[in-house]
Amino acid sequence: MSDLWDAADDTLAGRAADGDTVAFEVLVRRHGPLMRAYAARMLGSTYESDDVVQETFVTAWRRLGELQEGAAVRSWLMRILSRRCIDRIRARHEHDDVTELDAPTPDREEPSRVAEARTATEALGRALDRLPPLQKRCWVLREVGQYSYDDIARELDVPVSTVRGQLARGRRKLLDEMEEWR
Amino acid sequence: MTDPLLPADELIDGHTLDELSDYLAAGRTPADPAIDDSPECRAALTALERLGRATRDLLDEEAAAAPADDDWVGRILTGIRLDVQSGRRIPIVHPDPAADLALTEGAVRALVRSVGDGIDGVLVGRCRLDGDVETPGAPIAVHLEISVRYGASMANAADEVRAAVIGELGRHAELTIASVDVVVTDVRESRAGRDGR
Repeated sequence: MSDLWDAADDTLAGRAADGDTVAFEVLVRRHGPLMRAYAARMLGSTYESDDVVQETFVTAWRRLGELQEGAAVRSWLMRILSRRCIDRIRARHEHDDVTELDAPTPDREEPSRVAEARTATEALGRALDRLPPLQKRCWVLREVGQYSYDDIARELDVPVSTVRGQLARGRRKLLDEMEEWR
Repeated sequence: MTDPLLPADELIDGHTLDELSDYLAAGRTPADPAIDDSPECRAALTALERLGRATRDLLDEEAAAAPADDDWVGRILTGIRLDVQSGRRIPIVHPDPAADLALTEGAVRALVRSVGDGIDGVLVGRCRLDGDVETPGAPIAVHLEISVRYGASMANAADEVRAAVIGELGRHAELTIASVDVVVTDVRESRAGRDGR
């Protein structure tokens, strides 16, 4: 396995598509941790996020033969994962009432602990946790999942104007909190 | 144009934060001198860029802090092992006409991988068998992708893989190999050296 650890994603994806479970294991170990972190941010629960990442890998294993560019396996996995996370979110019906989503959200009661953060990423993590769920999801889909506004709107089944508004608010709040941290 | 859904946003030298974010996402093209020449806009673009980078860094840090544990990986692998794709059936001729023997395409690929991996510095990637493998004696073209360790000769590695694959497939799988193409798709260094980990 040590040689496989050094292999490029392209080589591993090709072997895995041909049925090599050891190459697939290297892909799971290489990309699984980021996928877990991403799913945890999207779903707000590590219990559920571990499940969706596992489902993602099972789906990926079945469909690896369809992947044309093995080098793109990471973004391909992230797409499958995003779709899985969105399925869970839609099943919860949290974002059904669009008029409520578009209303301005009151500021959280509890004081921000962003200022106490030692590093920029820690500060951002705390700021992100303070965003309302839809703002946070739109932000993560956009900045990490590389989704377009139209894709986010279609996937979450909300109007594009809502996505634009959510991102505008989230971005403003994150910038303000980071400004204060600095 | 004002969108009533957007929060009241003070303008940054005549531009909303939303416009600047779109401009950044478009790779700052087509270039807009009204933005590029404004120090306020440039400062806002820098802040937005930093925010995007911090988001990606945050997830990378969280990922690095929680490597995949063996139990979790094990559960995924248990799930997929039940679901191994074996591909087409490759018949094996036997003197007794009642015997119905075959190899799967997946088994042949596994054989090709183990033969190729046996060559020093080589790792086999994707392997494709072109031709009517289900008909005994039909000519088969083998297409192989390989990864070669940095410093090894690519031409020698490819030649050795080709010869070894032709030899082994003839011996074990009774396939009529018309050709073996070997393409080097990756030259790998030690990952420890590459990532500094």
